[in-house]
Parts: sequence; C-alpha cells; structure tokens
Amino acid sequence: MKAFLVNPDVCNGCHNCQIVCKDEHCGNDWSPYAKPQPDTGQFWCKLEERVRGTVPLTRISYWPVIGAQDEALREYAPEILQDREDGIIVIDPEKAAGRKDVADKFEGVYWNERLQIPQGCTGCAHLLDNGWSVPRCVDACMTDALLWVDEADIPENAEKLSEGSHVYYVNFPKRFIGATVVDYAADEVVIGARVMLKDAQGAVVAQTETDDFGDFIFKQVDAASFTVEIAKDGYELQSIAVDTHDADVNLNYVDFKAVA
Amino acid sequence: MSFIADKSVYKSLGFCGVGDGANLATIDVKDGKVVRVRPTHLDEVWSKEQVNYWTLEARGSTFEPGMKTLLPPLALTYKNREYSKNRVPYPLIRVDFDPNGERNPQNRGKSKYRRISWDEALDICAAEIKRIQETYGPASILCQADGHAETKSAAGTHGTNVTMFQRLGSGCTVQARNADSWEGWYWGAKHVWGMDPVGEQTSLTNVFKDISENSDAVLLWGCDCETTPWGWGGQISSRSLYWWKEIGIKQICICPDLNYTAAVHADKWIPVLPNTDAALQLAIIYTWMTEGTYDRDYIDTHSIGFDWLEYYVLGREDGIPKTPKWAEEKCGVPSFTIKALARYWAKSRISIGHGNGGGMIRSVFSHEPARLEVYLLAMQALGRPGCNQFKFLEKALFYDPRTNPYPRSQVMPNTQACYVSMLLDAEAMGTNFVPKTLIPQAVENKTFDWYGHTVCAFPAHDQFVHYQFPGPENKGIHMIWSDAPCWQTCWNGGFLFQDAVRNPDLEFYMVQHAWMENDTVFADIILPVTSKMEEYDIDNDVESGQFCSLYLEEPAIEPYVEARTDFQIAIDVAEHLEKFGGVYEGLKAKVTQNRTTEDWIREGFMHSGINTEEFTWEDFKEKKLWVSPTVENWQDEPAGLINFYEDPERYPLETPSGKIEFYSTALAEQFPDDTERGPVAHWVEETDVHHERITSDRAEKYPFLLMSNHPRWRVHAQHDDCIWLREISTCKMKGPDGYAYEPIWINPADAKRLGLKHGDIAALYNERGRVLGGVYVTERIMPGVLYQDHGARADTIVHGAGGLDRGGANNLIAPNGIISKNCAGEVTNGFLAGIEKVDVFELAEQYPEQFNRAYDPDCGLIPDSWIVKE
Repeated sequence: MKAFLVNPDVCNGCHNCQIVCKDEHCGNDWSPYAKPQPDTGQFWCKLEERVRGTVPLTRISYWPVIGAQDEALREYAPEILQDREDGIIVIDPEKAAGRKDVADKFEGVYWNERLQIPQGCTGCAHLLDNGWSVPRCVDACMTDALLWVDEADIPENAEKLSEGSHVYYVNFPKRFIGATVVDYAADEVVIGARVMLKDAQGAVVAQTETDDFGDFIFKQVDAASFTVEIAKDGYELQSIAVDTHDADVNLNYVDFKAVA
Repeated sequence: MSFIADKSVYKSLGFCGVGDGANLATIDVKDGKVVRVRPTHLDEVWSKEQVNYWTLEARGSTFEPGMKTLLPPLALTYKNREYSKNRVPYPLIRVDFDPNGERNPQNRGKSKYRRISWDEALDICAAEIKRIQETYGPASILCQADGHAETKSAAGTHGTNVTMFQRLGSGCTVQARNADSWEGWYWGAKHVWGMDPVGEQTSLTNVFKDISENSDAVLLWGCDCETTPWGWGGQISSRSLYWWKEIGIKQICICPDLNYTAAVHADKWIPVLPNTDAALQLAIIYTWMTEGTYDRDYIDTHSIGFDWLEYYVLGREDGIPKTPKWAEEKCGVPSFTIKALARYWAKSRISIGHGNGGGMIRSVFSHEPARLEVYLLAMQALGRPGCNQFKFLEKALFYDPRTNPYPRSQVMPNTQACYVSMLLDAEAMGTNFVPKTLIPQAVENKTFDWYGHTVCAFPAHDQFVHYQFPGPENKGIHMIWSDAPCWQTCWNGGFLFQDAVRNPDLEFYMVQHAWMENDTVFADIILPVTSKMEEYDIDNDVESGQFCSLYLEEPAIEPYVEARTDFQIAIDVAEHLEKFGGVYEGLKAKVTQNRTTEDWIREGFMHSGINTEEFTWEDFKEKKLWVSPTVENWQDEPAGLINFYEDPERYPLETPSGKIEFYSTALAEQFPDDTERGPVAHWVEETDVHHERITSDRAEKYPFLLMSNHPRWRVHAQHDDCIWLREISTCKMKGPDGYAYEPIWINPADAKRLGLKHGDIAALYNERGRVLGGVYVTERIMPGVLYQDHGARADTIVHGAGGLDRGGANNLIAPNGIISKNCAGEVTNGFLAGIEKVDVFELAEQYPEQFNRAYDPDCGLIPDSWIVKE
C-alpha cells in the first residue's frame, strides 16, 4: 500500500502540486481511469495556507490536502470504485455516473456538472500503471514536502486529517507563542532572559532563553491556556497569561523592567 | 491507448532570458495537443556519473541538487499561456487607422481592430518603414525590445527588429535596456566595489559552499528568493534555504512585507519602511563606529576614504549623528532592534542574500542603500570566510561563469551564435538610443539629456558619458516597432507612456506579440507571434544551479492560427521592403544570412562551447539533450572574494583604486556637484523631482508607501491570464462584479482606521492616476505600507496622466522621474499613494463601455472586445 506523506515544515507554498494536478487532468481524458476535470474550480490536490501571528512575528504554514484518498469513500460507496490491488482509491467514471451524493459527502470529491459524475484524486493511477513511479503532484514537489511512500514506512508520529485517509502529515502546524523582550528604559532588547511556558496546572511544558534580538518563540504548542514567565537577574519577574485556543500568539514587545 | 504521450520534447520555460535559458521542462504531446508540462528527469538520458553529480556536505548534512529540474509553477502552468483565450490569432489593423488617410492616433488604446492578411499587414509595415526612413531618417524609427518575454534563441524575440535594421545598414533608434532589477547596484554599488556589469557581487564561485560551511546567518535583505528566481532559475533557492535552516544558519529577512521567503524561512523578520533601508544601514554603521566593533585593520588595508564616512555618520558634516534613534523615525525599525542587529552582526559571520528587485533597489535614490550595503559588508571584512554577498538568481549572468555560486559545470553552453536578436549590443546602439526609462519623453519628442547608455550589461565608466535627445541626425521619433509590448506595466510612470503613444507625431506603431495584452492594444498594426510550444529552436539551462545543459527544442504543436516567430516576422518585413528595391535590395538574405532555422540551430550547437567532436550534431539530434559534467575538484576553487580578502594588492577590485571606495574617486571627479549621488553614500530625504517620503508634503494627500515586488504569480507582465494561477487566493480577488482584481495588502490596523474590509475594491491613487485592486487585509504587511505586486495586465478605463486602470497595473502611477539627477534608472517601488474604497457599480455606470469589455471569469480580458468580427 502506498500513501502520501506531507511535511508542512518544508512546504514553501509554491502550489506546484495543485497546478500539476490540473495540468494532468483538466482537458485530458484518461478514461477509463478519469474523465477530464473542468478547467477551473476543482482541487483534487488543494494547497491550504494559514497566516500565523502578527507583525513582526507573522509566518505562514502551507500544506496540500488530497481529500479523495480516504477509506471512508470505500466504506460509503464501494460500488463506484475501481478494483485495484495497490489500495489507491479511483472513482470509476462509468460506475459513479449520477452519484452527486458522493461529491456532497466528501471534501476533495467534486461534482462535474457537465459530465454528471463525482471526481477526485486518482493517485494518477493511469501513470502509475504505465511506468511512472509517483503521482504528478509528488513529481512536481521541489522541496520533498510531498512524498509517495509505502504505508509501512510512515513515521509513527504522523497524523491524518481523517481516520481513513491515506494522506499522512508530520510536523502539522499547531500553535506558536513568541515575543521580543525589551528594557524600554534602557532602550535595549534583553538577551538571555529565561522564559518558561507553563500550562493551566502550572507545570512547565517548555523553556527557552531570549536570543540576541531579545526574541523567544515556543513552536508547536497546543491550543490551550498557558502562562509565560520571563525572568532575569536584576529584572522584575514578568508573568503573562496566553491563550492559543483561537490562534498563534505574538506578545510583541514585552516591557521588561529592571529592578529599581 | 497511450496514457503518457505520443511524443515528448524539451523546452526552456524561463521567461526573461537573453540567450540564457532556464527551467528545462519536458512537454508531453498527444493527438497534436500539449497534455503535460513536467520537470525533466536528467537521469532518463544522462547518468549521475556522466554529469559528475555534485553534492555538498556541511555540518554533518548533505545537500542534494537532484537530477530533476526544479521547475516553478510559472513553468508548470504554461498550458494556460499556450491555450489562453487571449492569444492574438491573426494580423490586425486598428479600424480607424488609414495609412493613406486619417490615422487617429488619439484613439490608440480605445479603438478596435479588424483582421487583415499577412500580406496586407506586411505591405503596410514595409511602406511605413520606407516612408519614415525617407521623410525623417532611420533614427525616427524606435525599436522596442526587451528581456521581459519568453526565452528563445533562433526563433527570436528580444530585438529581431533591431537586427533587421542593423543588417539593412541603416540602424534605428534603440530602446536602451536599463538595469531594471539591479538599479541601485548598477548606479551605486559599482562605484564602491566595481563588480561590472550590474554591481552585485560577481565573484560568486563556491559562495554556496562558503556560506554553508562558515556563515552564522544570512540576511535576506529586500529580496524574495521564493519568488523572484522562479522565472529565471527555478526553485534551487528554496531547497538551499531549507537546508541552511536544517544545518543551523539563521535567516533574517529585512523587508516591509512578509514576502514569500520571510513567510516560510525567517528566523527573524525585521519590517522596514520601503526605501528607508539607507537609514537603517547608517545606524548600524553608527553603532559599529561608536562601539568599535568593525574590522579597522581590514579598512586600512582594503579600502580608501573611510574617514569621509565617519565624518558623515558621526554627524560632523551636518550636525546630525546617524544614531539608531535618528534611524528609527525614518525606517520604522525600533532603535533597540537596530542595535541588536548591529551587535549580532559584529560578532557573527554574515552573508547577505539577494534575489534582485525588492523595495530596496528599485526606488528613488536606490544607489544609496546599495552603496551602504557594500560599506556594511566591508566593515565586517568582506571576503572573509562566511562573509560575502550571495545571489539567488542569475547563475549565468551574461555568461560570466563566476556568477554561479553553486558547483560549476565544466561548460556553460552558449547559444549566442544563433541568437538572432539584438538587445544589449553596443554595436546596435550607435548614438541613436534612448534610455528605456525616458521613452515617453522621446516619443513626445521632448529635448532632454542624460548620462550613459544605461544598458544593464555596460561597465561603470559608461555612466560618465553625456548624451542628449534628439541626437544631431535625429528628427524625432515617428514610428515604433515593438516586440516587448509591456512598457506601461513594467516601467515607470506608465500613464505618461499612454499619453506619449497617442500623440500625432507618432505616425505608425506596430507591435508583434503572442497575447493581446498591455501596450499591444495601442498599436496600429498587431502581428501574431508563436509561443515556445510552436517553435523549432535550441536553448540551454544555465540558470538552474544544478547542471548546465543544452537541448534541442522541437515544435510540440502547430502554430496558433496564423502566428509566426519573431524572427520570421523580421524576415517577412525585410522581404516586403525588398519590393521597393534600392537600399532594400537583397535585405531578406541579409537578415536570414541564407540560413534555414535548422542551419541556425546547428550553428548555435557547433559554437555552444561543448566538444562537438565527442558529442556531434548527429548525437545531439538523436539525444536532444546534453548535460555538462561538474568540474573536477570544484570544491578547491577559491570561494567568493577570499583572494581579495587575503591579498588585496594581488587581487584588486575593478575600482579605480583597486580597493573598496567608501569615497568614490570617480564620482568625485565626474560629478563634483551631485548632491543626490555624491562621492560618499548619504541619506537623501528628497529632491526637487522626488517627494516620495512619509515626511514629504505629498504624504498628507498620499499617506502610504506602496511596496511592489516582482510578482509571485507572474514574471513581470507575463502569465496574468493563467487560469490556474488566478484561482490562487493571493493572485486575484473576485469583486462583487465578478471581476478578478489584483490584491492590495493592507495591515489590519490601517484597514480598521480607514474602514476598509477584506474583499472591498479600492483605488490606489496619487496625482499620476488611480489603479484598482482588491483589499487584502493581512498581517503580512507593516502598518503605513501598502503592497501590490507589479505587472498586472492593464485594463485602462481612463487613459493618460491622471487616468484610471481597473487591472491594477501600479507601474502606471509610479514616479515619472529617474532615480536621481545623473542616474537614468527606473523608480517603480516605494512611492507614495493613498487608498480609498470605490463602488465598482458606480464606476461601471460612469464608464459603461470600458467596464463591459469582453471578459472571461477564468482568464480575464479576452480579445473579443478588441476585434471586430466580420
């Protein structure tokens, strides 16, 4: 069994995967594997982006979503899928004719109004069966953010966006908390301050020090309530409540006062 | 049936090459149609052993260039460009243009076109050329050519028109191609450290290795390596930056916008107001000077004139010390961050990376930040291991092998022998040329003067020669022949260009182009050009940073309707001129040099620099692809400027003194009274011509600085019709009228203050005009700054100065003036603008005809509104 392995940490947002999926399927008829995708509007491979934080701690995470490669489809409508030994989900354009319910039910499966069929990622089965070693989207990824691997080789810590998906993610973005610590009275950033991240129970979940720019950042923290404590000899202890339930948090410039 | 292809061909899908190709792609063709554009796997033809596959090891990790070409989305979406609904199908004539009667020049940009035959069109073009040459002289024909187009060799583009006039022996007036993406380096940095021709560090051999091994950090200053290199050299930059991150090299992005590099790579983003980098740089210098944290010994042995800089920075010259607090007000970076950056830099090994463009290098007085950057590098011992300037594109700048920072290929295959166009040749310039930045003034036949050819490939001393327009033999411009119809969307003050080409002195205006876009719809005659897919050619990939290659570009498909190659059009015009006999006799043979396309391609191959005895023309025809091996022991070649660092006397720079010139002796001698570009770089607040600071009077009416990078989803003005790019949310925003507007980024705080909401349609405006866009509220832009990509396809509602454009082509409202008094470079970034919400339905009522132009929701404007059907 093959599967997609996505690493958003090295996804630069170029959209190559999304574009070559269209290059392969828009206007090209690969029957019996797939009928042409409409010129626009369908995203069998869709690049998502999340703009995170605020100026000057804004960053972006990108990751492709390939919705149709999901066992839930097989469970819901096995009769519309092609029989394949490699486990790739291929909606048969003939068997699936008229099945708008499939498109309505699944993200990543689209209804083709003109052809009256549901359509989605085929794993480029027509290419894999004819000498290609990877689907188009994987071939077009220039940073190895999207790989085609044996399902047995998927790292243990990988996550999936849905239970039955054959698309796995490592380093899927969680939340970050960051700031620049400044002694405004001295007009200087504070370097080497100890910063602790405590959870709602007061347990330390991470700690770090401010760098040469007075910056600290906690990456990949959960969506939860925290307290950030900043300490340094000669400075008043700073304690700041942080809530990452809705979004990443940039505490921006934290005024860190020297002891009088 | 075949699920792969009937045949596959190679194509260069770089979009700005002047004989230097990039982005080698494999095109799969089936049933006469392009079915697929994909990366080329070099190892399908050449083994790793054959190409002497290189890897780089540093800090316990290995960088792999891979054997697959690293194509950008702009190449992979080429089918959209090929099958665009916006192609020019056949020759067209403006309906109210009568060469024997009323020409109605005032209607250019407004009137429609009707189909004519190739013969009719060429007859008119030839007759006009003859008439203008006889009436006014050959210098009255202005040829516009440019690199902002597809990369071709024997098929032409980039100046086949100039070639034709050269072969005729008459010449013409040539549009001199300025250093558009290098302006500050070209006009400023060259006078500090040499580095002809463009002023960025030329000695880049093994700098990738040097940084990987020795640098603590790279400053990505005003550049977007995740965007700008795409059209020229693919995505090796992205792989490099991810790898540098993995091996612990800090990446600090200094730019007003969270560009696509900062978005995914920045360890630290320092937002700086557009075109105020000079203040930030001066304050870093001040910090080093006052804290004694620069390399004084190096300054003594490697430079001249440092005391002049001290005199200025410490405030002895003007009473103003250039302190971090002084800088903070100007550049928007907190003084504590400036000091932190200065101190971190002083104790680290830092290189600065560039990808051309950006707000730092294309604005007013851009020579100052460019010079100051070299000062900064010099003060921390430029050339020392880990301390160089690095470039993320142009790995074969004008075929100079030193410009590739990655392991060098043995051969950089060259297609110059079959490059049938003329763009950067001194020979073609003669004395009749006009800097591209001053074209509107020339077309309006104004009298003006300037210094230098201004051509990007010319050396520093060329900037000291004085020229004027019109020249002694020139009776003004009366005709334009353009193969690069994107002046208004790529250069400065585009609304003035629209006025200029509508003036009655311009009697004839012909454009050859593949797409009905931008300047094209101002022409009197439009000739359709083939695309890459339709042509037979030869090209190279020397810009990828992986392995240099040379390949045969067989036609993938038949030409679109009646399209012909750029070179064929020049030949056809020559053939029609021959009918007049006399000086035109035998012109076609002079242009073709009696060679067929195949002959030209063979000529290109035979002189490419590869060993054609080992790999013959027949081998090339069969294999179609040649890949150069990497040089043996490449890792032993001295990195960057290490030789200069170690022995400046033996390895001098190209400056008059051979050293880094904090005080430029040449500028002091040539321009003793220049207060805008003096011998030592300064902060220049404003001048009589330019009031583009937030402190300027104009800022009361136009309070924002507009930032405009090389676009993410275009190469300058190319690709705006690509339907798969236009679906991306940062590419276009659908307005309430269904029109896809070009996004304008605004910080949430500014948007809130002005009552603007995400998705509103707004006008960017100043006294030069208005351009529309979709309001894109985002934390990707600092307060006080607006951002809009440049190069959106013009869709002009009201023409000329003070006009209105719906497409979002913000070059139309860029400053009309040049960089500074003696520097005729462009200003297309970091200028003042206001923003206000507009009601598109009200505008549509006011301008019903323009708002009802034929429009395809996927690809934008289509020719139907321009072509009268018979």
